[in-house]
Amino acid sequence: MRKIKVKVSRKRIAVWILAGIVLVLFCATVAGLIYYRKMIKDLGVVQNEEFREFSRIYAYIAEDPDSKLTKKIYKEISEYAVENDCYVELTGQNLSTSYSKADRLNMAISSKVDGIILEGDDSKETKDLIDKADALGIPVVTVLSDCLGSSRKSFVALDNIRLGTEYGEKLMQIASEDPYGKHINCLILIDSDEKNYDDVILTAIKEEVNGKNVDTVSQVVDISTPFTAQEGVAGILDNYGEMPDVIVCLNDRTSESVYEYIVERNMVGQITVLGYFDSDTIIKAIVRGSVKVTFATDAKFVAEQCVKALNEYIDTGFVSEYFQSNYILIDRNNVSNYMPEDKDV
Amino acid sequence: MFKFLANMKISRKLVAVFLATSVIAMGVNLFIYLNLNTAMDKINQVFSSNISLNELSENLNKIHSGLTGYLETKNTDDLQLYYSSTQTVTLMIKELNSNVTDNNVKLTERDIRNMIKSYIDTADEAIQAKRGRNIDEYTNKYNECSRIKDYLNTYIYSVNNEQFMTNSENYRALTGSLRYTELMSMLVFAAASLMNILLIIIMTNTITRPLTRLSSKAVEISSGNPENVEPLQVISDDEVGKVTRAFNEMLASIKDYIARIRTQLITESEMKEKNLLMETHLKDAQLKYLQSQINPHFLFNTLNAGAQLAMMEGADRTVEYIRNMADFFRYNVKKTSETVMLSEEIELVDSYIYILNVRFAGEINFVKEIDESLLDVNVPSMIIQPLVENSIKYGIKDIEPGQGKITLSVFREGDNACIRVSDNGIGTDEEIIEKIMNNEKGPSETRGVGITNVMARLDLYYNSKEVFEIKSRKNEGTQVTIKIPIPMEARNV
Repeated sequence: MRKIKVKVSRKRIAVWILAGIVLVLFCATVAGLIYYRKMIKDLGVVQNEEFREFSRIYAYIAEDPDSKLTKKIYKEISEYAVENDCYVELTGQNLSTSYSKADRLNMAISSKVDGIILEGDDSKETKDLIDKADALGIPVVTVLSDCLGSSRKSFVALDNIRLGTEYGEKLMQIASEDPYGKHINCLILIDSDEKNYDDVILTAIKEEVNGKNVDTVSQVVDISTPFTAQEGVAGILDNYGEMPDVIVCLNDRTSESVYEYIVERNMVGQITVLGYFDSDTIIKAIVRGSVKVTFATDAKFVAEQCVKALNEYIDTGFVSEYFQSNYILIDRNNVSNYMPEDKDV
Repeated sequence: MFKFLANMKISRKLVAVFLATSVIAMGVNLFIYLNLNTAMDKINQVFSSNISLNELSENLNKIHSGLTGYLETKNTDDLQLYYSSTQTVTLMIKELNSNVTDNNVKLTERDIRNMIKSYIDTADEAIQAKRGRNIDEYTNKYNECSRIKDYLNTYIYSVNNEQFMTNSENYRALTGSLRYTELMSMLVFAAASLMNILLIIIMTNTITRPLTRLSSKAVEISSGNPENVEPLQVISDDEVGKVTRAFNEMLASIKDYIARIRTQLITESEMKEKNLLMETHLKDAQLKYLQSQINPHFLFNTLNAGAQLAMMEGADRTVEYIRNMADFFRYNVKKTSETVMLSEEIELVDSYIYILNVRFAGEINFVKEIDESLLDVNVPSMIIQPLVENSIKYGIKDIEPGQGKITLSVFREGDNACIRVSDNGIGTDEEIIEKIMNNEKGPSETRGVGITNVMARLDLYYNSKEVFEIKSRKNEGTQVTIKIPIPMEARNV
C-alpha cells in the first residue's frame, strides 16, 4: 500500500516536473517568437541612414577638382556652409565620368542650384555659362580667378600682385646672399590652364626683379590631367640644360613634383625651391630644407567670403563685387605652426 | 483548470490535446512564415531603388527618342511617345528626393530630379521651336537636351552604382541576418515541438494513469484477495472516473457479500457444533448408563418379575422398593432423548431417594419445596437426579449417618423456574467449583451421570452459561441452582 502511494506521488512529481518544463518551453517559445519578430523588424534598419537637410545648395566648380588646393578650399567652404544652413556640392565629383569645367557648370545650372562658386577664367564659354546661370536666376561668385566681363556677382580674390612681389623679394634675397654677387637663374613654372592669375603673379615677379641680378625664365607645365604635372616638370627640367638656381612654382602639384625631382636627382642644396600651397609634402620639404619657402592661401577666409557673398546676394540682391585675401608665407621660421597634426614630418 | 480538464470526457480530452498541439504548431509556423515573408519583402525592396532608376533611365531614353524622332520628321507617333514618356517620368521623379541634404545619394537624386525638369523644359521649347520651324533654335535646344541627357545618364549610372554598392551591403547584411533568423526560427520551432511532445505525454498520462491504476486493482482482485484491496481514489469525473466509482461500488459489494457469507458460515458451523455436542453428550450419558447398568431393559423386566414375586409373597415393602427401582430404570430407558415435564424429573428423584434410603436404611433426609405451578414446565431429561446423586456422593456421604439432608426446591424467580438442590454436607472447594464451571473437570472423574454433563446439556439446550449456578461453603453444604426460562404460555399460570 505504502509502495503504491510512493509510486503515485513519484508519478505526480514527474508530471509536475514535465508541466514545469512545458511552462519553461512555452515561455522560451514566446520569448523566441518576440525576439524573432524583433530580428525581422530590425532587418531593414541599416537602410535608414540619418542625414541633415539644408535650405540652400551651392555648386563649387574648380579648375582642377582633384588638386589639393581645390580640396582644401572645398573642405573649408563646406564646413562654413554647413554652419550657415547651406550645402556646397563639388559638382562633377563622384561621377563615373570626368567632365570639363564647362560641363560641370552646365550640370550645376541644369540641376538648379541656388548659387555657384566658380574658379573663373577668361574664356568666352565660361562667360556665356555665367551669363546663362545669371539669366536663370543663379548667382555666380568667382574665386581665385575672375571671369572678366561676365555677370558674376562677386569675385573673391587672392592678392596675386602682392604674391608676385613677395616671390620677387625672396628671389632678390637669395641673389643677395651670393658672396660673389653674381646673377641667379630663376625658372618660373606656370600652369597651362586658362585661369589668369598665373600671369598676374608672373608679371609682378618680373616687375619686382627687373634690373636686379635675377634672370627669370618661365615655362608652362601641362596640368590638363592629374598625371601630366609631374611628367611636365620632369620634361622641362630634363631638357633644361644647366639647372636653374631657383625654381618658382605657382601650383601645388608643380611644387611637389619639383621637390620630388630634386630629391630624386640628389640636387637638394643646389636648387632653391619657392613653392606654392601648404600641402603636407611641401611642409615636410620646408622642414627638411628642400623647399625654402611656400605661399599658402588663407583657404578658410576665401571659403567664408565665397559663401557669405552668395548668401548676401540671395538675401539682399546686392553684394560687394570684390573681396581680397592675402597669402601666408611659410618658411622654416614659422613652419611649426602649419605642421599637420598626428603626422611624422 | 486542472479540475476542469480532469472532468472532461476522454474523447474531448484527446481532441483538446491534439487541437492544442496542432494550434501551437500551426501558430508558430504561421508566425515564422509571415515574418519570413516580411523579411523576403525587405530583401526584395533592397534593389528596388536600382530598378526605379533603371526604369527612369529607360523612360528618359524614350523621351529623347521621341524628341529626336519628332524633330527629325515631325512624326506624331514620336510626339505621342515623347508626351507619354514625359508623363511617366514626371510621375517617377516625384518619388525622388527634392531636398538639399548631406547624403550623397539623396543629393544626386535631387540633381537628377532638377536636371530632368530642365531637360523637359528645354525639350518643350525645342518642340515649340520645331512648330515655329525655327531650325537654329530647336537645334540648339536639342543639343542642350542631348547634353543634359548625357549628364543625366552619367548621374543615374553613378547613383545607380553607388546605390547598388549600398544595396549590396544591405543585401549582404540582410541575408546574414536572415541566417540568424533562420537559426532562431529553428530554435523556436524545436522548443515548440518539444513543448507539444511533452504536452501530449502529460495529457495522455493523465488519461491513461487512472486506467492503469484501475487495471492493476482489477488484477489484485482477480488474484483472489478482494478484502485487502483498498478502493481507488476518484480523481476525475470522466468515463474513467465513472468506471472507477462503479468499480469501487462493486468492490464494496463483493466485500459485503463475502462478510455476510462468512457470518452465515460461522453461524451454521456453530449450530452444527452445538447439535453435535448435544448428541455427543447424550450419547455419552447413555453409554455411561449402558456401561454401568449393562442392560436396563433386562434389569427392568427382571425387577418387574421380582415385584410380582414379592406381591405374591405379600412383602409390600419389597414390592414398593422394587417398583421404585423399576420406575427409575424405566425412566432412564424411556426419557433419555427427549424433554420431560418437571414433575417427571421430580418423580425420578423421589424414586432414586427411595432406593437409596432403602439401601442406606433411611439415612438420607430428603425435603421437597415445590411450586406446583411449575410442574408442567418442560426441561431436558436427567438433570435433577445427577445433582441429587452428586449431593449424596460428595456432600452428605461423609457426615454423621442420619444427619444428611438434601433439599429439592422448585420456585419461580422472575421469568425463570429455579430448581435448586442443596445439601448440608461437607461443601465443595472453590477450586473444584471453578473447574466445574470452566468445564475442566471431565465427566470421567465423576461416577454416574455427572454434573458436568448436566451443565453441558443445559448450556447447549438454553445457549446460556447463566442457567447453572453452584454455591458452597466449607462444612455447610453445597447449593446447585438451575434456572430454566419459563415458556411464554406458562408464565402467567
